[in-house]
Amino acid sequence: MSGGANLPVAEQAGNPRAGEHGALSCGKALTFSGGTQADFDRLLSRYPTKQSALLPTLWLAQREWGWISREAVDYVATLLDLAPAFVWGVVTFYTMYNRAPVGRHLIQVCTSISCHLNGAGEVYTECRKRLGGLKPGETSSDGKFTVVEVECLAQCDKAPAVMVNDDDYAVITKDKLDSFLEGLK
Amino acid sequence: MSGLEPIQPVLLARRGKPNSASLETYLADGGYASWKKILGGLASGEWTRAKVTDLVKASGLRGRGGAGFPCGMKWTFVPPTEKRGDKPVYLLCNADESEPGTFKDRLLMEVDPHQVLEGMMLASFALDVKHAYLYIRGEMVHAAEILNKAVSDLYAQGLLGTNVLGSGLDLEITIHRGAGAYICGEETALIESLEGKRGQPRIKPPFPAVSGVWDCPTVVNNVETLSCVKHIVDRGADWFKSIGRNEKNTGPKLYCVSGHVEKPGVYEAPTGIPWEELLALAGGVRGGRKLKAVIPGGSSAPMLTAAEIAGVPMDFDGLVAAKSMFGSAGIIVMDETTDIPKAVTNIAKFYAHESCGQCTPCREGTPWMHKMLKRIVTGEGKRSDLDLLLQIAGQMGNGMTICVFADAAIAPVLSGVTKFRGEFEAYIDKSTQPEFETPAPSDITAAVADRPAAGIHS
Amino acid sequence: MAKVTVDGKVVEVPNDANALEACRAAGVDVPHFCYHPGLSIVGQCRMCMVEVEGVPKIQASCTVPVRDGMVIKASSEKALAARNATMEFLLINHPLDCPICDQAGECKLQDNAFGAGLPVSRTSEPRRQFPGYDRTSIGPHVIADMTRCIQCTRCVRFCEEITETGELTFVERAGHTFVWTHEGRALDNDLSACTADVCPVGALTTKEFRFRKRVWWLDKTRSVCDGCEIGCNISIEHRDRVVYRFLPRVAPLVNDFWMCDYGRFRSEELNRQGFRKPEIRVAGSDVRKQTNWGEALDAIKIAIDRAREEDKKEEKIASKVRVIGSAFLTTEEAWLLATLCRDSLKVNAPEFTVDIGPKRRIRNKVDGWIYGSEAAPNSRGAEAAGQRKTKEGDGSPLSLFLSKQSSSSSSSFSPAVLYISDANFSEKCNDPAFVAELRKASVLVVHARTRNALTDAADIVLPVAPLSGKEGTFVNAKGLVQRIDTAIVSPPIVRTDLEVLLHLGNRWGAFDTQWTARDVFERMQSSVPGYENLSWDSDSLVGNPPSISAAAAYDVLGLERDPGVEVFPRPSVSAPDWIP
Repeated sequence: MSGGANLPVAEQAGNPRAGEHGALSCGKALTFSGGTQADFDRLLSRYPTKQSALLPTLWLAQREWGWISREAVDYVATLLDLAPAFVWGVVTFYTMYNRAPVGRHLIQVCTSISCHLNGAGEVYTECRKRLGGLKPGETSSDGKFTVVEVECLAQCDKAPAVMVNDDDYAVITKDKLDSFLEGLK
Repeated sequence: MSGLEPIQPVLLARRGKPNSASLETYLADGGYASWKKILGGLASGEWTRAKVTDLVKASGLRGRGGAGFPCGMKWTFVPPTEKRGDKPVYLLCNADESEPGTFKDRLLMEVDPHQVLEGMMLASFALDVKHAYLYIRGEMVHAAEILNKAVSDLYAQGLLGTNVLGSGLDLEITIHRGAGAYICGEETALIESLEGKRGQPRIKPPFPAVSGVWDCPTVVNNVETLSCVKHIVDRGADWFKSIGRNEKNTGPKLYCVSGHVEKPGVYEAPTGIPWEELLALAGGVRGGRKLKAVIPGGSSAPMLTAAEIAGVPMDFDGLVAAKSMFGSAGIIVMDETTDIPKAVTNIAKFYAHESCGQCTPCREGTPWMHKMLKRIVTGEGKRSDLDLLLQIAGQMGNGMTICVFADAAIAPVLSGVTKFRGEFEAYIDKSTQPEFETPAPSDITAAVADRPAAGIHS
Repeated sequence: MAKVTVDGKVVEVPNDANALEACRAAGVDVPHFCYHPGLSIVGQCRMCMVEVEGVPKIQASCTVPVRDGMVIKASSEKALAARNATMEFLLINHPLDCPICDQAGECKLQDNAFGAGLPVSRTSEPRRQFPGYDRTSIGPHVIADMTRCIQCTRCVRFCEEITETGELTFVERAGHTFVWTHEGRALDNDLSACTADVCPVGALTTKEFRFRKRVWWLDKTRSVCDGCEIGCNISIEHRDRVVYRFLPRVAPLVNDFWMCDYGRFRSEELNRQGFRKPEIRVAGSDVRKQTNWGEALDAIKIAIDRAREEDKKEEKIASKVRVIGSAFLTTEEAWLLATLCRDSLKVNAPEFTVDIGPKRRIRNKVDGWIYGSEAAPNSRGAEAAGQRKTKEGDGSPLSLFLSKQSSSSSSSFSPAVLYISDANFSEKCNDPAFVAELRKASVLVVHARTRNALTDAADIVLPVAPLSGKEGTFVNAKGLVQRIDTAIVSPPIVRTDLEVLLHLGNRWGAFDTQWTARDVFERMQSSVPGYENLSWDSDSLVGNPPSISAAAAYDVLGLERDPGVEVFPRPSVSAPDWIP
């Protein structure tokens, strides 16, 4: 629950869903490893204000820990002299910062117009079905796959386009889905 | 000579060459000649900042990002040195290509990163920029890696950094990755995002040219625009002007053709190529089917029917005349099998997802339109929905919001519902939803007129 | 200055004003949500739409800087249609449950829906919910309900620009955008409840006031916070002799639009009245009995007169009578006390001390942050009126009291009569050791409202009214003289310090018991530095009115006393036999 779960307030007690979407805790304090710290220092030298390094620093955090936890937000806020709430506001504005751990293969299916015209909606549904009926954004129980729907990947000529982690895959139609998923495993 | 004759590729000239992204092949192909020429001509006064700006102005280059604003004129809005004091000028290359149906900038950056970087360097010289940033979409991981490699090669070769090639000129370039927000392609949202904030567009004025990133004069140019700058400095304004339909629509242009065509892809052609020729380049409509509709400038452009787009010159003014827009030249082709209501719903969903959320009409209006459209295509529509949709769309744009996102969001809905109303009605005819009395607009106007005068706000 | 025409009316506004401010200056009411004069302009609610001549698109007036000669059409058909549109968008997702919302009555959305909204709803879609983010505590004072939020970001800007603590942020985007804190970090700063003030709807409310009173029932009285020396202008909001809340009152030179949580939540304190009748010691016992004012005041007079006789015998200057003043008294009260000592009692001037409390702060545009460390509102006024400010260790009698923590010293000073005009003049009044020092006086008289160690020890307790019952002036840390008005007439028998002092003085022939605070103000003006050229009714003294919303415009001036209670009966009684 945001706003301090430690505040004894009746309103909060009666709300079973309180805190469902707040920043999740990873359960431990975080600091950058040496290499990442060096990258971070290099970053700072590229901008006239510390705050400008926020997006790249969050990328470093995601590279280091895989997702942006509550502790990561706090840590990044300290690094850049920002309010943690501000950092959280930025994290939630952008879609690419993972707010929970994701599977080893983060399958991002583009469903925007050009891909839609080429059957991307079906690919998205089918892909989740073949991975054991995953809900949008859900991670498979073996921790291997997370399937999400994303907006235009600027691969409209290769529709339906799919991105897995940082790699682009072209023309993943429904019939190619099996071999595509097989290739990932 | 007509400017519409087929041209040798310019921007895509190096597509398909081995190692086209490397500095070696770029230099071997005569790259950075202009950059070296200018640096060399500094001392003698042969090259001045104004000279580059004048070249770009004379070329008639219009911004390739969507608005089509004359690039040279944009540069002249930056206050002169005596007015801006000790504030530096920043150049931002807008590589946040996110408009559905657009994929040219990605190609330019992946295939020929040095072309856009040289364009940035030349523009930086013209604008007296010491540090330029390239804001690339978060999703384009591969392109960002290529660009980062290219930039570090340039530093290694002394083509960037302090005192470049002994000319006394300093220039830094930084590649900045976004993180997934369509709105960051809007220049003030891009500035906010670069400053490390949520990408919420700013109120204008002040315009970025006067006070942009870090409150300093800022020019934001698209990847393709800056790539063109390189060629204008290489080959001159007259050459650039000789290509294109008329002097307001000049130069080579990249057309992104996707959807129901045989060969989707990026095609380079003179600005203003007629629709039919462009379609032919892309191999025609897929499977020999009939054309139904075209979105000619990325998903924000009003949809045109097959009849409306016939013979239209594909450029800024040609498409305005056809009551649509050229935008980012993302041409989405829809054949006769296309379910227009579903396509419109898909686009509405995109805008409902990508609104930044600050202005009321857009934040509330985009999801409202999407909810209604979704209801219609899932068989729960009501006949009154269509008029209501048009009315809602009508009260979102045209100054109701800070940026033009809302205008972009309503264009496909307005054009789709108006031009293909029958298809929407067919869905509604099958609907199980009981009809629900929505007051006619005239009743509302009358009721508003009867309302007591305002005057209760403290 | 720029000349601007609004709906045909020409007004002059400063060059840095915006079109919305020009409209307001012209008396044209343009509804708005995100605009707040104390915060930056974001122009994102899109409510204040107007037409500007020469600009083709409709404009949000708060974002348009004025130009000389600008012509604004604020009530044109196009402008009204635009505002209708924005209202419609705001209302499609806002709950329609004003009857159970605590903001009702002072809700901008409600007001604007009435003034600028459509009479019908055209949506049939399900309304947006924020499960988990409704009716949730986000800090020690504030409860947030995001289903009611209209995303104007006033609260976010307040925390970024005024307190610079940044606890709040926009979270998510598009139709899911809402305001929240970061997980595990509360909205906890010294001005946090101001976020509920700036919230135009019921999204942020204070725990302390929530659901305690419908706002249209509240009477509003101008006052000044007595929590510290800054003297924030406040409105005391009360009904039926109960104070429900303090709200800041606009004061550009002091607290602008804000006030601190500490001061704000002192309001509840005003509802405590421990003493409702004068009390006097029963002879030969350690208990007091309730009495009437006549007996109490006469007893005081007798005690003081006897002590002065003693002094005369010893040819000393009234050293057997000591008077302790207070920085909580209004300047008028302080002056009466000082005048009484000097002219009638012929004793030393009242001494007072001020606690140095935690540093309070408030921010305005003129001074930036201003700080207050004295935990009382009027030490400057008390001094100007003739009271003597003492500190521990400066050798004055009061300082001797203050420094004596153990009562072992035999040389400690024990007057015959110790008259304390405020039983809470210092936090030490709850310290038994300190009280034991004071108790060495033969007769201990206190003005008191609530019980503490000092009142427990006193021989005579005179029940007085709290801040909400007083009228007069305070001098704040910046030297500004500010007036407070009577919000609540005290319960029968309880009197203000001013009335008590008038009647006490009258026992020696001084003062007129009918004097009001204003009469005293005018009489003391010539002798109190800083008051010479002031006028009781001047704007600088009075400050701005409490913002009165349409629903809550009550006449707060027509307060009347309960009839039938005789004030200060004067039966001549003999001295109680325990007075030496």
